[in-house]
Amino acid sequence: MIWKYPLLLRYLLYIAEGSVWTFGLVGGGLLIGFLIGLSIAVGQVYTKTAKPFLDAYVWFFRSTPLLVLLFLFYWGVFPALGRKLSPLACSIVVLGLRSGAYQSQIFRGAIMSVGESQLMAALALGMSEIKGVLHIVLPQALRISLPGWSNEYAILLKDSAICFALGVIEILTRTRFVVMAAREALIPYFFAGVLFLVLTHVGTKLVQIVYERTKIPGLIWRM
Amino acid sequence: MNFWDVFLLKILEEEFWGVFLPKILGGWVVTVKVLLISIPLSTILAITLAVARIYGNKPVSLLAASFVGLFRGFPCVVTLLMIFFALPEIGVYLSPYWSAVLAFVIVSGSYQSEYVRGAIQSIEIGQSFAAQSLGMTKLQEIIHIILPQALRRALPGVSNEIIYLVKYSSLASFIGVGEIFAVSRLYNSLYFRPIDIFLAAAVIYMFMCTIASFIFKVIENKSRYPE
Amino acid sequence: MSNQDITLKVEDLHKSYGSNKVLKGVSFEIRKGEIKIICGPSGTGKSTLLRCLNLLTPPDRGHVWLEGEEITDAGTDIHKVRQKIGFVFQEFNLFKHLTALRNVSIGLEVVKGIKKDEAREIALEQLRKVGLEEHAHKYPGELSGGQKQRVAIARALAMNPVIMFYDEPTSALDPQLIGEVLDVMKKLAKEKITSLVVTHEIGFARSVGDEIMFMTDGRIIERGPPDEVILNPKHEVTRNFFRNITRLYERSEQ
Repeated sequence: MIWKYPLLLRYLLYIAEGSVWTFGLVGGGLLIGFLIGLSIAVGQVYTKTAKPFLDAYVWFFRSTPLLVLLFLFYWGVFPALGRKLSPLACSIVVLGLRSGAYQSQIFRGAIMSVGESQLMAALALGMSEIKGVLHIVLPQALRISLPGWSNEYAILLKDSAICFALGVIEILTRTRFVVMAAREALIPYFFAGVLFLVLTHVGTKLVQIVYERTKIPGLIWRM
Repeated sequence: MNFWDVFLLKILEEEFWGVFLPKILGGWVVTVKVLLISIPLSTILAITLAVARIYGNKPVSLLAASFVGLFRGFPCVVTLLMIFFALPEIGVYLSPYWSAVLAFVIVSGSYQSEYVRGAIQSIEIGQSFAAQSLGMTKLQEIIHIILPQALRRALPGVSNEIIYLVKYSSLASFIGVGEIFAVSRLYNSLYFRPIDIFLAAAVIYMFMCTIASFIFKVIENKSRYPE
Repeated sequence: MSNQDITLKVEDLHKSYGSNKVLKGVSFEIRKGEIKIICGPSGTGKSTLLRCLNLLTPPDRGHVWLEGEEITDAGTDIHKVRQKIGFVFQEFNLFKHLTALRNVSIGLEVVKGIKKDEAREIALEQLRKVGLEEHAHKYPGELSGGQKQRVAIARALAMNPVIMFYDEPTSALDPQLIGEVLDVMKKLAKEKITSLVVTHEIGFARSVGDEIMFMTDGRIIERGPPDEVILNPKHEVTRNFFRNITRLYERSEQ
């Protein structure tokens, strides 16, 4: 049935339209994860009291499967907080919370490789710690983080497919609808897979371009 | 009676925990059964793919590269569903359990192979020259000289991927494998105690991941040689 | 002489790391326009002293006054204090992600709140002073060690400090690059910019230093006019130290 050409095209287009939702999941997750990850990394490097709590957060979100987190937060945590979220909103928040744990490790490594002496030089100029971190450490650390960050994009993109479990009508949910309608599994799933593959490559290429553009002449960072 | 006995009794007294705990532990056994087969097979596949890419002739190398490129680009869950639902279309029927194992071996093997490949390529060319000068065949060289060094270097990346696999094993619930998450989901629909149930599942996964990363740390330290 | 003329006064400064006593009571003062040199074997607390003086490392005990104000008071704004002290590091510590020009101007913009254009003008002026105007748009990674240190000096000077600290500014440089940095420092010394210099460059010390303080084991054990201390030291340690240094120095002069 699926082999009938116009129908096939309609099916595939329907799946491809899911990219919009997938990008929503990934974009939202990356953004929330960026804010959380950067804060955690700064906290881990520059504070003593907060560090154990931040470590525990990272440990929890890194060693629990996304699937478990999605159900825990969708059915458990958010309703318990008195705020039941839509599947899409909940998925974005959970992806973000989890990505924050992963991103914090990228940023922490980057901040450490910038080195203490850069902050010391900033302090010697009379900058406050916050200004030193903001103007001197982070601009360097964020550039160092870019390769790790593009990797995180690729992981998040592929993991976002798991959000189909909550019924977000992203690429995989649509693929499953098509499979049911067409009674044919190979082509839809393969197409979905290739779609993810292409989106991964486009995204990482973009980050790579940013990386090349922001490269600092004469400087090689040792990670 | 010590604290733990009291704690456990208190929990088991409640009807829900008395029912749920044995079930989720049963799910855990299934998860472990999936992992204990998938992990060694995925690493073997990874080594095979990496060696094929580097030492194979053009078509073999290209085939291995496309295999890895494809399954690293596909989300794990897509590969899993494709294998379970599409293989019957070409006449291959696998049980949910074996479909899950096959999917995890392919996906994790592809990811791991990138680390193995990078490690093989990082071995100095002098090692190869030295092996050849002793009269070793290419295969002997790979098995006795290159891989023992490369696998040690690949270990951090490979173990990271295996820990990912521990977490991705929860996806097997989608194709009807009765592992931890499948049990949790079922019992949540019966009792609707999401926080208790999914937190319990989370704790088991956290336990497995922590144990796994500890084991890999030990292996890493034990297998280190002075460089 | 009035108090106004004393730029920096240090009294009985102590600092230890754990059980390791690095500074065991250091006292001295620097008047406006003076250049004071600190010499001594490595690991005797010279760098720690400089860092304690601008509070990058808090001292354990003792007092420091900058322009008559006690900066070791609990209530001092350490960021204000550091603005008044120009600090030149041994390892330059230029901001790696900024051009030479931005390295010099960022303190002006971020710390002093000077407008971008104006900060740029001041920065260019400072770079001209150290002879690096044409390298203004290069990144630290594109400069030689000597050029980096000159940018670092310009960065510190741009903040218009009341005193300059130099922490072995030429120790990390290849021998052929030391001269250009010392030339800049000599030029600044002639402009009577109050300075505290940790260095082993005895030629520099003798030509521009007003006083040498010889430090060992956390104390200043000998001080006086450079020629006197270098050529006619009173202590055994000092004598040995300068004998060795002089020998090396003469060899490199040949």
